[in-house]
Amino acid sequence: MTPRVLRRLPLNTAAALVFVLAVFPVYWMVLTAFRPTPDIQSETPRFLPVSVTLEHFRNAVAADGFWTFWRNSLLVTAGCVVLALVVALAAAFAVARMNWRGRRGFILMVFIAQVAPWEALLIPMYVIARDADLLDRLATLSLIYFMVTLPFTIVTLRSFLAAVPAELEEAAQVDGCTRTAAFRRVTLPLLAPGLLATSLFGFITAWNEFAFANMLIIKNQDDRTLPVWLSSFSNVFGTDWGATMAASTLFALPVLVLFLVLQGRVAAGMTGGAVKG
Amino acid sequence: MKTRPLAGSVALAAAVALTATACGGSGDPAASGGPEKVTVWIMKDSVTDAFLDRFRTSFEAEHEDIDLDIQIQEWDGIGEKVTAALASKDAPDVIEVGNTQIAQYAASGGVRDLSDRTAELNGADWLPGLAEPGKVDGKQYGIPWYAANRVVIYHKDLFARAGVTTPPRTQAEWLTVTARLNQGRTQGIYLPGQNWYTLSGFVWEEGGDLAVKEGSTWKGALDTAQARAGMDFYRQLQALGKGPKDSDEAKPPQAEVFAKGEVAQIIAVPGGAKIVEEINPALKGKLGFFPIPGKTAGKPGAVFTGGSDLIVPEASTHPEAAYEVVKALAGEKWQTDMARTMSYVPNRTSLARVIQDDAGTAAMAAGAAQGRATPNSPQWAAVEATNPIKQYMTAVLTGTDPAQAAAAASQSITKTLGS
Amino acid sequence: MSGPGVGLPDRSHRAALWPYLLVAPTVLGGVLLLGYPFVRNLLISFQQYGLGELIRGDAAFVGFRNYRTVLADPEFWEVVRRTFWWTLVNVVLIMVIGTLVALMMQRLARRMRILVTTGLVLAWASPVIATTTVFQWLFASRLGVVNWVLVRLGFESFEGYSWLADGPAAFTVLVLLVVWQSVPFAAITLHSALLTVPAELYESARLDGAGGWRIFRSVTLPLLRPIFGLVLCLEVIWVFRCFAQIWAVTKGGPGEATTTLPVYAYRVAQSLHRYDLGAAVSTLTVLLLVAVLIAYFRQMLRQEADR
Repeated sequence: MTPRVLRRLPLNTAAALVFVLAVFPVYWMVLTAFRPTPDIQSETPRFLPVSVTLEHFRNAVAADGFWTFWRNSLLVTAGCVVLALVVALAAAFAVARMNWRGRRGFILMVFIAQVAPWEALLIPMYVIARDADLLDRLATLSLIYFMVTLPFTIVTLRSFLAAVPAELEEAAQVDGCTRTAAFRRVTLPLLAPGLLATSLFGFITAWNEFAFANMLIIKNQDDRTLPVWLSSFSNVFGTDWGATMAASTLFALPVLVLFLVLQGRVAAGMTGGAVKG
Repeated sequence: MKTRPLAGSVALAAAVALTATACGGSGDPAASGGPEKVTVWIMKDSVTDAFLDRFRTSFEAEHEDIDLDIQIQEWDGIGEKVTAALASKDAPDVIEVGNTQIAQYAASGGVRDLSDRTAELNGADWLPGLAEPGKVDGKQYGIPWYAANRVVIYHKDLFARAGVTTPPRTQAEWLTVTARLNQGRTQGIYLPGQNWYTLSGFVWEEGGDLAVKEGSTWKGALDTAQARAGMDFYRQLQALGKGPKDSDEAKPPQAEVFAKGEVAQIIAVPGGAKIVEEINPALKGKLGFFPIPGKTAGKPGAVFTGGSDLIVPEASTHPEAAYEVVKALAGEKWQTDMARTMSYVPNRTSLARVIQDDAGTAAMAAGAAQGRATPNSPQWAAVEATNPIKQYMTAVLTGTDPAQAAAAASQSITKTLGS
Repeated sequence: MSGPGVGLPDRSHRAALWPYLLVAPTVLGGVLLLGYPFVRNLLISFQQYGLGELIRGDAAFVGFRNYRTVLADPEFWEVVRRTFWWTLVNVVLIMVIGTLVALMMQRLARRMRILVTTGLVLAWASPVIATTTVFQWLFASRLGVVNWVLVRLGFESFEGYSWLADGPAAFTVLVLLVVWQSVPFAAITLHSALLTVPAELYESARLDGAGGWRIFRSVTLPLLRPIFGLVLCLEVIWVFRCFAQIWAVTKGGPGEATTTLPVYAYRVAQSLHRYDLGAAVSTLTVLLLVAVLIAYFRQMLRQEADR
C-alpha cells in the first residue's frame, strides 16, 4: 500500500493544490458572508469560521425588492436560455446533419458573430430600443442576451450533435419514423447532457450581465435585475462587504447548485462531440 | 427622434400649452381620471428614508393632483443611467445630480432650462459651489439642493489619552498633534491614499488648483509648485496612520475602520459620524469635529464643496409638476428639515443659521466659507471617471518621483478636458 | 459523414428547403439583433455623435474623421500593442494550465477527480461580479490575504504592498483573475476530449517504448487537435474581448497599464461621451480580432469542405 500511496503523492498533491486554488476565492466569499462585521476587517485573516452570523443574509434578503429582482433575473435568464436552445438546436441540426448551399458561409458567420463587441453596441442598441419603444422591458434584455449566447450555443450544440451517430437516426427512419420523430426519439435523449451543458453557459452569461440591464431598464425600477441590484451595497461610505458577499453568495447559488448537481452529466456531455467538430 | 428638436424649440410655450394635451392633464386631473405620477430619482444615501417619507406624505397632501414615485438610484453606472434617462422618450421627472457631474448634462441639451424660475427660488442667495456648475452660458439648468464638505471627525478619548486638549488650528499643529496620537495601536489618522477630495483642499490651500483655464482651454495644474506642496502635506499626514496607499475611503469603508476605536481621526462629511455610531454604538458621544486646519490659525483650510443639484429632463412628460417638486425640495421648509436630519449645508447662505447648534455642521459651516468646486468644465466628469488624480496620489505615496507623477497626471487631465 | 437526405432521393425536394427553414430563426435574430445594431454602430463611427446627438437624435456625417483621429492617436497604438500582449499572456497560460490540469485529471483516482472537477466547476460558475469583488479584496494592500501570505512566506517587501498601484502588478492581478476564471472551461473540455482517446492507442505507444512527452505529442495532441483549436479560438476571443473584469478591478489603470481595446472603447464612449470615437475603436477592434483569427477560420472552412 505504502509505495502506491507514495507514487501517487505528487499527483494527488498537485490535484489538491488545483482544488484549493480553484475553490479559495469562492470559499472566501461564502466565509465572509457568514462572518460578523468586525471579524471581516481583522488584521490577521482567519481561514476557518470562528463565529457565524446570518445577519448579512438577513440584510441582503430584507433589502427592498430582493425577491422581485431575483425573479426578474430568473425570468430574463430563462427566457434567453430557452429561446437560444430552441433556435440553436434547429440551426445546429441543419449544420451537423444536412448539406446545403451556404452552409460554410453560415458557419463562418456564426463564428464571426462571437467576435461581436457587445459593450460597444450598448449605444446603438439603446437608440434602437428607444425608437422602437422597447426600453424598460425585461423582454428586450432577454432578446439581447439570447443573441449574445446564440453563436456559442450553436457551435457547442453542433459538436454534440455531431457526436450522435447519424446512422441511428437513419435506422429509425428506415423503420418508418418521420425525420422529426426520429430526431425526437433517438437523438434528443442522447443530446440531453449537451443541451444541459450549453444551457448552463447561456445561463451564466445572462445571469451576470450588468451593462445592458443598467442602461435599458430606466424608469421601471421594479424591472431591474440582480446584477444591477447587487451594486446597491456600495454607498457614500463604502461597501458593506458582509452583505455584498452574502448577496453574491445568494446570487451565485442557483448556478452553483445547478452545476454541482449536473456536473457528472455536464462533463459527460462535453465529451466526445466536440472532438469530431 | 425627429420630434425632439421641435419639442425643444417650443419648450417654454409647451410648459403652458402642454398641460391639457401631452401629459394627460396636469392642470385638470379630474378630466383624465387620477393624479399624475411624478418620478423622482434620488441618489443612494443622499437623505434618509424617514426624510423621504415625511416629504412624500406632506407633498402629496399639498398637491392632490400629484403622485410621487421616489426611486433610489445606485452609484454604480449612474453616469450611463442618467445619460439613458435624458435621451429617452419618457424620462424621470426630477433627477438628483452631483455637482461635479452636472455640467456635462447641462451642456447636452437634455435638461430643462429653469432660468426664469431662479428669482422665485431665491437664486441670488444660492451657494456658488452648487449654482455655478448647474449653469451653462448664463442659463440655469441645475437647481442647488444641498452641500456638504469634509471635516475632521475625532475620537475624544484618544485625544484625551494623548493629552491633546484643543483641536489643532494650523496644518503644522495638526501634524504635530497627529504624530503624538500615532502611538502603539492607535493610528493618528486614518487617511487612505486616494482621498482626492481632501487633496484638492490641500492644493487649494497652497494656492494651487486641479486645472486652470487658459483662454478657452483647460490645463491640468497638478504639476505646479503649489499643487505639489499640497500633495507633500498629504503625504506627511497620510504617513501618520495605516491608511492603504492604493485605495480610497470606500475600500475598506473608513467608517468601519474608525468604528473599531483605534483610529484617532478621519476626514469625512459630518454625516459620517452617524454611520460610525451606528456600527459601534459604544462610540456615541465620543466623537468630536473640527474644521480641516489651514496654513494659518483663525482661518480653516480650503475644502471641496460636495453636493447635489436637481434637474428636470427635457424628456419629462410632467415638467410643471416636476418643477413643483424641485420648488418644494429647494424651499425653506425642506431645506431646514434636511439640514437638521442629514447635517447638510442648505442651498442658500441665509439658511445656514438652522444648523448652527450642531457640532458637526458647525465645524462644516466654518470650513464651508473656504469651499471650492472642481473645475467647471463639462468634461470634468470624464476626468473623475478614470481619475488620474487618485493614481497620481498612490504613485507619490508609493515612492514614484513626485515631479514626474504630477506631470503625467496633469497631462492626462489636460487631454481629457480638451477632448 | 454525408447528409441523410442523400440516401432518400424521393424526399430530396422537400429536404432541400429544410436546412434553410431551420437556420431561418438564427439568421433573423442575427440580422435584427446583431447585424442591425452593428450597422448602426458603423454609422455612428462616421458621424459626429456625442451626448447632445444622442439626446437630440440628429448627427452630421464627418466621413473618416473619427478613424483618422483614432489612428493618429499614439495612445491607440499603445493600447493595441497592450491588447495583443494581454491576449498572448492569458491564452498561453490558460491553454498550458488547462492542458496540464486535464492530463492530471485523467490520471487521478475517481474520488480525487470528482473533487477537482467540483473545484473547477465552482470557480467557473461563480458570477463574475462576485468573484471580481473577492479578488480585489484578496489583493488589497492592507488586510489582503495575498500580502499576508507572502509576508508569512518571507517576502517582507509585500507588507502593505499596493498591487493595483503599480502597472505590471495590476496587470498580474488581472491575468490571475482571468486565468483563474478561464482554466476550468479549458480543463474540463479538454479532459472530456481526452476521455475519448481510445486506451489502446496509449497502450501500443507505450509498448513501442514512447515516453510521456512522446505519447502526448504523437498520440494525444493529434487526436485533440480539433477541440484544442476550438478551445484556443474561443479563449482568444474571450480574452481579447474581456471587459467586465478589467473595468471592475482597475478601470484600465493605473495610468493606462491595463487599458485594453474594449476598455479603451468603453472609456472613450461612456466617460468622454464620444460615442463616435468609441464606435470607430470598436469597429477597428472587430477587424483586428478577425485578422487574428483568420488563420483559424480558414482552417475551419477547409475542415468543413473535407466533410
